Amino acid sequence: MTLPGSYESGPVASQTVAAAHDVAAEATAVPARRRASLRQWELFFLLLPMLLLIVLIFDLPILNAAYWSISDPKTGALTLGHFRDFLDSTAYLRIIWRTFFLSLEVTAATILLGYPLAYWATKLPPRWRIVVLGLVVTTFWVSILVRTYAWIVILGSAGLINRLLMWAGVVSRPIEFLYNEFGILVGMTNVLLPFLVLPLFAAMMRVDMRLLQVAETLGASRFRIFWQVFFPLTLPTLAASAILVFILSLGFYITPAVLGGGRVPLVANMMDLLINRFARWETAAVVSVVLMVVTLSLYAVYQWLREKNA
Amino acid sequence: MKKYLGNFALLCTVSLLAMPVQAQEVKELHVMHSGGEYGDALHKCVEEQLLKEAGIKVVAETPGGFAKMQAQATSGVITNATTDGSTGDLYRLIAADLLEPIDWAKLNPQPMFDEAKHEYGFGAQYYSTIMAWRSDVPAPRNFVDFFDTEKFAGRRVLPDYPEFVLAFAAMGDGMTPEEVSKGLDLDRAFKTLERVKDDTIWWQSGAQPAQLLKDQEAQYAIAWSGRVADQEGVSYSFNQGMLDISWWMVAKGISDEQRDMLYRWIQAQSVPENQKCLVEVIPYPGASPDLEKMVPEDLAKTFPTYSENKKVQWLINGKWWHDNAAEVERRWNEFKLLQ
Repeated sequence: MTLPGSYESGPVASQTVAAAHDVAAEATAVPARRRASLRQWELFFLLLPMLLLIVLIFDLPILNAAYWSISDPKTGALTLGHFRDFLDSTAYLRIIWRTFFLSLEVTAATILLGYPLAYWATKLPPRWRIVVLGLVVTTFWVSILVRTYAWIVILGSAGLINRLLMWAGVVSRPIEFLYNEFGILVGMTNVLLPFLVLPLFAAMMRVDMRLLQVAETLGASRFRIFWQVFFPLTLPTLAASAILVFILSLGFYITPAVLGGGRVPLVANMMDLLINRFARWETAAVVSVVLMVVTLSLYAVYQWLREKNA
Repeated sequence: MKKYLGNFALLCTVSLLAMPVQAQEVKELHVMHSGGEYGDALHKCVEEQLLKEAGIKVVAETPGGFAKMQAQATSGVITNATTDGSTGDLYRLIAADLLEPIDWAKLNPQPMFDEAKHEYGFGAQYYSTIMAWRSDVPAPRNFVDFFDTEKFAGRRVLPDYPEFVLAFAAMGDGMTPEEVSKGLDLDRAFKTLERVKDDTIWWQSGAQPAQLLKDQEAQYAIAWSGRVADQEGVSYSFNQGMLDISWWMVAKGISDEQRDMLYRWIQAQSVPENQKCLVEVIPYPGASPDLEKMVPEDLAKTFPTYSENKKVQWLINGKWWHDNAAEVERRWNEFKLLQ
């Protein structure tokens, strides 16, 4: 199966094809190499449309936006004025900081809820596993707006929880769950949970159970087996999903607007204000550049840590 | 049999050949507006007829507004011939030199109120920003009451738009409607907002205030009249409300062909029968003086322009908003982003 340049892998159907190639490769090694380089060209042409698409509609606009952040909109001359305006106002940095902090909280909450959920799901009998995963996946089918509004029905002043608490006499006035950072935290965690649970579940199913059995025969406690054997094996997936959740949280718009009651502006809401209301695209470009640089730096740190540990 | 088949094939070929010709005859007019129910109403009451009679197909982009007009002017390709907008938008667009004046002689609309005929804008609809409240809480009489969170306890839902909330906040600190229609004292407005902000939810979409009142998330709201009229369990008053006009404004640099189509589309909106059709979908009346007589009294009473309603309101001072735009933006940013 180790044919030079072979791009078939995995699927059973392709194995026979690969085997045939194997025979051919043994017979004449040199043409096979030529064929391999040809394949690379083929691959390149197959990828070309996607490459063009990404460069044209994603990379170039991003560069263009970055250019706006350092050019004068009227004369086109290069200037650092927009960055100076950005630094002069305390609001922008404060909102970026708040967004990062809230995203960290969301990531932490997603991990605390998602990891046990995924773990529990792997322990269930197969039929129940499908039911639980089905419930996690169904949240993808409901529009994000509807899901967000649904939290008002549950957590609102006249919502289920407050009514229950007041009926039971626990509180005399409704608790304010919404229109603050807590409300946003709940809504965003709800939306982002599947992004963590699904990959984690897959990773946990792949963990070789024999390793756990070995640890058990060597006399390790269940606690120790989990933390020293099982958890480290799922850690790479956990870290990758957590990063994904974190980066997705940075751009949330609807959830903070609805569940934050417009009282907790985050980066996306601020961008909306700058672009659609005030038509200050240069400042918006500065904010995007700052946000992108910070996010990429964090990602670089994460990669560095990972490589150091590997 | 063969002959029939041959004829059928010929018919197919002819119709195929004819199709592109027919497609060419339908011309497209690109416009921008706030969409939703209003877009559906325009389609039903104005645009279907226009397609049938003049072969003009209207393609709408939603929403419109200042930033999009500026964007298309900067790009040099004027895709959309018009946008809707408030009086504040109108002055802002004029100052940015993004509009062309309306040729009223060429447009030749049916009779309409004078205040709805601006050099740069066709007044399409009247709308008001007014106070509303849950029917089970004490009713405020004016905006001093409205912002009195002690006597009138409960949460407020306020517009997340400076233009639609600051004047009321200034009135909450004791300014009179006559004073705010000349220009407002921003210090007094923000003083009120600072006082009530912990009891406030901010809305961005016009449908939110009525929904939040119904869900008991809030007790008092400042909302657009058409969104709170006729909602069960919600009371409202036009008293001290802010009357404004939604304008159609023509983008500078459109082709003569686009302008001809656009004027036909706008002209059709000045016809009282079409305005009646529109107002049955969304209760923001057009500027025809005949409209009020054509609709049932019950509906007319919900109009911001109904004489009883109009006389207790004040007309927004678009010029003040334009002249003070930078200051308003700075103060609003400070207030909103630093909370």
